[in-house]
Amino acid sequence: MLDRVAGQLERYMDLLSARQKLVASNIANLDTPGYRTRDVDFQSEFQSAAGLNPEVVEVTGLPVKNDGNNVNLDRESRLLAENALRFQVASSLMRAQIHTVESAINGGGQS
Amino acid sequence: MSLFSVLSIGASGMASQRARAELLTENLANAETTRTPEGGPYRRKDVVFASTEVGSPFASVFSGELESAGGVAVAGVVTDTRDPERRYLPGHPDADAEGYVAFPRVNPAEDMVDLMGAARGYEANVAAISAVKDMIARSLDLLR
Repeated sequence: MLDRVAGQLERYMDLLSARQKLVASNIANLDTPGYRTRDVDFQSEFQSAAGLNPEVVEVTGLPVKNDGNNVNLDRESRLLAENALRFQVASSLMRAQIHTVESAINGGGQS
Repeated sequence: MSLFSVLSIGASGMASQRARAELLTENLANAETTRTPEGGPYRRKDVVFASTEVGSPFASVFSGELESAGGVAVAGVVTDTRDPERRYLPGHPDADAEGYVAFPRVNPAEDMVDLMGAARGYEANVAAISAVKDMIARSLDLLR
């Protein structure tokens, strides 16, 4: 039981880390001329669950500034907060999973 | 673990924005400087940012992979090539034969706006670092 759910959670947290890294990279390059916003396709990457390294894509549809940069700070701030909260949820669930196994090992009584 | 390299990315953003703020402050401080070691009036300076690959040597050797997401670095400093502003001040020691003094072409409004941009950029990077720090702390909590 632990394997399947924990495996999914691990994949989820890995993807969130990868995404958070790209968000941080986008924020760092807020003023780099010609830089294009990068992201991962979260849904499809999560469903494919194949490779460990998610594919990085350029985000389309964002307004481009005069210097060719299209980083939108509002979008990145939202994603930053969203990823942190999602990660918080995932780690709480993971903790609950671990706790379940722990109490099974301890015989359910005292722990 | 890739989360730790995010800290380097945020730090690269902070360092670059700080370098930019330093130059902008230098511009403002030297808005009226008519003498420089190179001769002539001070010339406005600005940074050029370029995205880079970051990551500690340890992490890249350990994982044996090239990090895909990059940070930012100051690729160079550009000096303004516009002609200096000429003001008629015959009594000034740096005045030329016609009585004009070459002053730096520094527009305080331009620099103040850029300085605000640099401060906001710095703040955004700090927010990114603290969000990631929280995520790392959460991961460590799983061990307890």
